[in-house]
Amino acid sequence: MSLLASLDEAARLRVIKELADEQSGEQTGILIEALNDESWQVRRAAVDALARSCRPETLAALIAAFREQQHSLSVINGVLQVLSLAEIDVITPLVELLSAHDADLRVSAALALGDQNDPRAIPALIGALRDPDTNVRYHAIEALGKLRATEATDDLLGVAESRNFFLAFPALEALARIGDQRGASRIVPLLENDMLRVPAVETLGQLGDEQVVKPLVELLQTGRAPASSIARALATLHERYERSYGEGEFIADLVRRFIDDSGIRRLLDGLDETHGQDVRALTLIVGWLHGPTVERALVRLLGDTTVRREVLAALVRQGARVTRQLVAQLDAVDAETRQAAAVALGRIGDASAVPALIRLLEEDDDLAITAARALAAIGDRRAFDALLHQLEHPTSAVRQAAIAALNSLGHPALPKHVKRLLSDSNRLVRESAVRIAGYFGFEECVNLLFERCADDDERVRRVAIEHLPYLEDERVLPMLASALRYETPQVRAAAARAFAHIEGGESLPYLLTALGDPDPWVRYFAVSSLGRHAFPEALAALSQLAQYDPANQVRVAALKALGQIGGMRAVAVLAPFTSCGDADLERTALQALGRVGHPDALPPLLAALGSPGIERRVEVIEALSMRRETAIVEALQLEVTSSHEQRVKQAAIAALLRIGTAEAVATLIALSDDRACREECITALASLDASKIEWIARGLEHPRTTVRCAIVEALARMRSPHASEQLARALDDAEPAVRLAAISAFGHLSISHAEYKLAHLALRDSIPAVRRAAQVALQQKVR
Amino acid sequence: MQYPSEHVPISDGTFTLLRNLIHERIGLYYDMSRRDVLMDRLSPRIIELGLGSSLDYYYLLKYSDTESQEWSYVVDVLSVPETYFWREMDQVQALVEYLVPKLVAAKPDSPLRIWSAACATGEEPLTIAMALNEAGWFDRTAIEINASDASPRAIAKARQGLYRERSFRSLPRTLWDRYFVERNGVWQISPEIHSRVRWAVANLMAPHEIAGFANAPIIFCRNVFLYFSQEAMSIVVHHFYHCMPAPGFLFLGAAESLLRINTPFELQEIGQSFVYVKR
Repeated sequence: MSLLASLDEAARLRVIKELADEQSGEQTGILIEALNDESWQVRRAAVDALARSCRPETLAALIAAFREQQHSLSVINGVLQVLSLAEIDVITPLVELLSAHDADLRVSAALALGDQNDPRAIPALIGALRDPDTNVRYHAIEALGKLRATEATDDLLGVAESRNFFLAFPALEALARIGDQRGASRIVPLLENDMLRVPAVETLGQLGDEQVVKPLVELLQTGRAPASSIARALATLHERYERSYGEGEFIADLVRRFIDDSGIRRLLDGLDETHGQDVRALTLIVGWLHGPTVERALVRLLGDTTVRREVLAALVRQGARVTRQLVAQLDAVDAETRQAAAVALGRIGDASAVPALIRLLEEDDDLAITAARALAAIGDRRAFDALLHQLEHPTSAVRQAAIAALNSLGHPALPKHVKRLLSDSNRLVRESAVRIAGYFGFEECVNLLFERCADDDERVRRVAIEHLPYLEDERVLPMLASALRYETPQVRAAAARAFAHIEGGESLPYLLTALGDPDPWVRYFAVSSLGRHAFPEALAALSQLAQYDPANQVRVAALKALGQIGGMRAVAVLAPFTSCGDADLERTALQALGRVGHPDALPPLLAALGSPGIERRVEVIEALSMRRETAIVEALQLEVTSSHEQRVKQAAIAALLRIGTAEAVATLIALSDDRACREECITALASLDASKIEWIARGLEHPRTTVRCAIVEALARMRSPHASEQLARALDDAEPAVRLAAISAFGHLSISHAEYKLAHLALRDSIPAVRRAAQVALQQKVR
Repeated sequence: MQYPSEHVPISDGTFTLLRNLIHERIGLYYDMSRRDVLMDRLSPRIIELGLGSSLDYYYLLKYSDTESQEWSYVVDVLSVPETYFWREMDQVQALVEYLVPKLVAAKPDSPLRIWSAACATGEEPLTIAMALNEAGWFDRTAIEINASDASPRAIAKARQGLYRERSFRSLPRTLWDRYFVERNGVWQISPEIHSRVRWAVANLMAPHEIAGFANAPIIFCRNVFLYFSQEAMSIVVHHFYHCMPAPGFLFLGAAESLLRINTPFELQEIGQSFVYVKR
């Protein structure tokens, strides 16, 4: 410190940065002392320097500092940060510190172990649950929660059941974080404990199964816990059942079965007293129920944007019973309420709301749009004339909504009216009519559509040109060619876009000519259309544009088109753009390389995976997911295991899912052993299509119990007979935890593939818990 | 029509690009949970332009000037024009009863400048003008009221001065009768009050557009930061602070605060309302 003490902050930072490159024993000491510097920037620089070159001797020095300077919060924090960042084995020395004489040191060790994401720490941390010092036990509990240590479930339940005020709370939190559902039944009795009731409710929401619905609803009815906490737990349970098994409605059914008037009243009172996120959970639960008071409460919440989704879903579930109340809300004072009422009426689909919704078409733009959408959803032809009238509305979004509604009404008189409107004196009406006629391709309107390509109004011409490719008529190609050559820039751009939809190679010469258009957007769309056709003849011209066009958007489009055409020459043009410094060009080049099947495209993509920015790495991962090579699967596996960024991990898992080869599936199976991404891997595996069930089921032979349990979960979520057939194999697993997971999974599935095995387990399994679970599963199915 | 459904599809990546571009240019921020809201607003335009994808629209915006017609359209469709007369009146009363007397007394020879920075369709600055008129201030001193909004459509409506019944939900009936005349189911503000306000289109994220207004000692910027990110709010508030004279008074909406940003503005209770003050 004496060396640094005399320097100002900038100089100290400089010294630290120099020392980072050439660490010796003495310099390591200076860096460790700098962890106690008054400037956070100096402390941060010291942490980075120590982490970057952390050798065994550095580790020894850090541990010594940890022991000796444990009263300096800065040093302790700094050492912990270095340990977290360093890529060397820190578990062994930290586990040793859990046996240190000093309790503060043991606390710090437990803290650090919780941040290491290394399951080797779990046995020692479970041992620390018996530490004589309460603080050590507290931090060991938290660390086990962070590590999602299923091995610790029983011990943590023991801590929760001890009802020790200081430790039972974190134990329940840790159990919720670990998510081992076996613990739920032992938590239910804690609902009787005044002190632990609320955290127990929340933990049951995270861990429980359908068995906890009844005790939670009964608790709601006693009023001994806040309605919002119970609603949150039930909502969490519902969300988990829906996500995992598509059975959220089952939880709602159970709530309806068990709740009485006092429970409903408490929920409604809760709605009046609660704000923020809790309102959402309460609204969800109230929405499962029926009755006039429930309906009134839901209608009252219409204007609350924070619960819009839940209220709408609930009102739609109430059906036509609430139509009259909703129609009344169309005259509410605030716009949010009126909008929501119109949306709900559209989703309910009760035709008695049609006259009121037609009146709403005369209101402000947003309401007119919502009303048109609602009328489209109801599909009542009484709205036809009013919607036709909207085709001259000055706001384009309102016209669009009316057009969409008219298209969905399917009124038999539509072609006749549209034919008339194609010659209307109002240009907005003609434009709208062109959109409808072009969408349906009404035979009686074809000639008029061609006439509108020469309309006085530029917008009408543009829209007519856009719709030409969908007509089967020999006049289409010459008309588009003429528009591309002689029209205004906007219409030329429309023609360039339209050429993308002309089948065959006839569009090539016109589009190549358009690459020299003076307007950048005409060039942009001509390039895009060439890319869509993937004309290899355009490669040279597109390469030129990619490199030299003065408009950046044209260069972007050219890179994309080169990726669509593919081949070695395209790769040669694309590769340098992956690090050209322009975000749009770089991103597009990466995506294009991902699309190109050529092997030369792979090295620049893998190189870009080392980019520093998270966004860029995610983009590279998405580009890689378009290819199938083994090297990519390996690179993605490394991203999942080594990246500190959750978004990068998630993108890599999504990429493996998209690749979907046997290798990629095997990698997802292996990665499910990592507690930090287990759930994402299970979700990914479960979303694979049924043809890949055999590959997934290979995970049932994995040596790791946690992996086999994950595969059980994934197969259960697939909800297919073939997946259930494979799942039944897990009932023979040597490990009781896997058998229990499989039995639990069959609780949500047909047991036809497993009935005999379940009966066998119920009678003969050597483990009592397995026998009991199998008996319960069989009894549930009988009920 | 290329999109039979009303929402143009958008990938996560393109949403992020589009969202970030809109945030950078006009300050409005859409997180992933409001993705549908954004696309609900923009999809009609993408369809109207006949574009092949939302990515095409991103490039169209990216390579258009913020002053272009396309950005005006974006501001128009993303702005939230729902407002009404006599809204959150405690603040206007604090202005009329405490701040105007204080500022006029301090500089009796200079006109007092008031800026309504996100005036939507004009109800706020007209409320201020009515309240000042009721208190007789226009007879006693020179007061300039500037009103701006980023939405050209909103300002066009404000310039018309025509309002539907819903804008009057809080306005006392006597004032409604005094200052408005009915014409075919809509109400026209009295020309005397309307002419007290000067209207302009101005993007809060464009310093050169608001520089001419932000030097007012009184700024009303209510119910707009609700839709801004913390970062965008910080940029705008710092610009206000830099331009405002001292003492300067900044009014935010009841649901807004500067708590989460680092700002030298000081929160003070004046009358029955809270005001951010530059000392």
